[in-house]
Amino acid sequence: MTEPKPTVTVAKDLADLIPVFFKNRHKELESLRGALAAADFEQLRHLGHRMKGVGTSYGFATISEIGKRIEDAAHKSERAPIDACIGEYADYLAKVQVVYE
Amino acid sequence: MSRWWPERRRVPRAAPAPYRVLVVDDDVDMAAFLGRLLAQEGMRVETATNGEMGLASVAASPPDLVLLDVMMPGANGFEVCRRLKSDELTALIPVVLVTSLEDSESRVRGIEAGADDFLSKPVKREELIARVKTLRRLHETRKELESRRLAAEVQRKEAIRKAFSRYISPRLADRIVDAAGEHGDPFQGRAQRTSLVALFADLRGFTRLTEKNEVGEVVDMLNEYFGILTDAAYQHDGTIFNMAGDSLLVGFNVPFPQPDAAERAWRTALEMVGRFAPVAAAWQRRHGLDLGVGVGICTGEAIIGNVGSEHYASYTIIGNPVNTAARLMQMASAGEVLVCGPVYERIRHLLGGHRVSERGDVALRGRTEPIPVFAVQALEAAAA
Repeated sequence: MTEPKPTVTVAKDLADLIPVFFKNRHKELESLRGALAAADFEQLRHLGHRMKGVGTSYGFATISEIGKRIEDAAHKSERAPIDACIGEYADYLAKVQVVYE
Repeated sequence: MSRWWPERRRVPRAAPAPYRVLVVDDDVDMAAFLGRLLAQEGMRVETATNGEMGLASVAASPPDLVLLDVMMPGANGFEVCRRLKSDELTALIPVVLVTSLEDSESRVRGIEAGADDFLSKPVKREELIARVKTLRRLHETRKELESRRLAAEVQRKEAIRKAFSRYISPRLADRIVDAAGEHGDPFQGRAQRTSLVALFADLRGFTRLTEKNEVGEVVDMLNEYFGILTDAAYQHDGTIFNMAGDSLLVGFNVPFPQPDAAERAWRTALEMVGRFAPVAAAWQRRHGLDLGVGVGICTGEAIIGNVGSEHYASYTIIGNPVNTAARLMQMASAGEVLVCGPVYERIRHLLGGHRVSERGDVALRGRTEPIPVFAVQALEAAAA
C-alpha cells in the first residue's frame, strides 16, 4: 500500500509565491548537502534556522520542524541526525502536495 | 415650496501618502511573504537583503517602519537597529525585530539596541498586521504631536516677533527671535566690537513744542514725527537702537553687514529731513512753531550687544561713532545733516545739488582729538 502524500493548505493570496518558494527549498537542500559534506556546522545551523522561520510562515510546518532539528544538531556538531533530516527533507519536498484556499 | 440649493462642488482630496515599510531580510522568501501581507493592507513595501543595504535604503528614503530580521550575514539586525536608533534623523522610525519565538536572549539584545517591537518567527499573519498597525497608529500620533508642537512654536515666535516689532526694528526682532533656541534666552549672546555707521536725529524746536501744546497734542505730534523717521530708517534697512525724547538712534552695518552703510545712512537722513519738511510747514501754520529735523552721522568701531541688568537691558550700540553722531546732531540746525570726515568721503558722490560746507576740525566734547566735520543742507535737494 502506498503512503499518502503530505498535503499542505496555503492561502490563495500566496499562490504566486509558491513556485519560487519551492525552487529555493530545492536549492536549500543542495546547500545542506554541501555543508554536511564539508562538515560546515555553522552553515548548517544557519540553514536550519532559516527553514525553521520560513516554513510555517508559508504553512509548511514540517519544513520548520525539520529545520529546528537540523539547527539543534548543528549546535552539537552531530552529523548523523542532520544526514537523516536532509533525507527526510528531500523526501518531503518530492511528495508534498499544495492545496490553495 | 421647493428651494434651490447651489450645487456643491466636490474638491478632490489628495490621497494620503501610503505607509512605507522597509523589510530587511536575507531570506528572499521571508521578505516576499512579509511584503505580500503588508501590501495587502495598502502599505508600500521595499525590501533589502542585508543590513548594509537596509541602512542605505533608509538613508536614501526614510520609511515609516522597518521590519528587521535578526540573523543576517554582515551587519545583523541588532547592529542595524542600533545604528538607526543612534542617528537623530532615523531614531524615530519604528523598528520591529523579527526573532525566533523561543529566543528570549535576542529580545533582550533587541531592547538594548532600541527595537520598538518584536515579531516571532514563524510569522503569524494576524500578529504581523496587528503589530504593524499599532506601531503605525503610534507613529502617526507622534508625528501629529510633533507637527502641532512645531506649529505652536512658530506661533509663539510670531507672537514675540510681532510684540517686539513695535519697539525695535523688525529686522532686529527677526534676528533675536530666530537666534532664540527652543528654550533659549532671546537676549543672551555676547557683545562684539564691529564697524558701524551711527545716525542720530532729533527735532529742533522740540522744547518749545512741549511748552506750547497740550500733552495729548504733543504725543500725537511726536507720533507723527517718529512715524516719518522710523519709516525712513526701515526704508533703508537701518536698525533702530534707541528712541528717547525726540531723538532717534539708527545703526547701519549692524547687526547685518551692509557694505554701503554710509550711503544708506545718508539716504535715510535725506528722507527724514525731506519727508518731515511739509509736516513742519503745516505745524508752523497751525501752531506757529519753527521745527525741523537735525541729523548727525559718524562711522567707526563700536560695541554692539546687550547692556543692562537682569531686570532691564537694552540691545544697543556704544562707542565713539555713536557719541560723535550724538554731538553732531546737537550741533546740526533744522534741515541740516552733519557728518564726520570718513562718512563724507563715502557719500560725497551722492551730494550733487546739496550745499556742503566744511566746518574744519571740530573739537567735540568727550573726544581728545578734533575731527573733520562737514555740514550738508539736506532740504535743498529735497525741494529741488
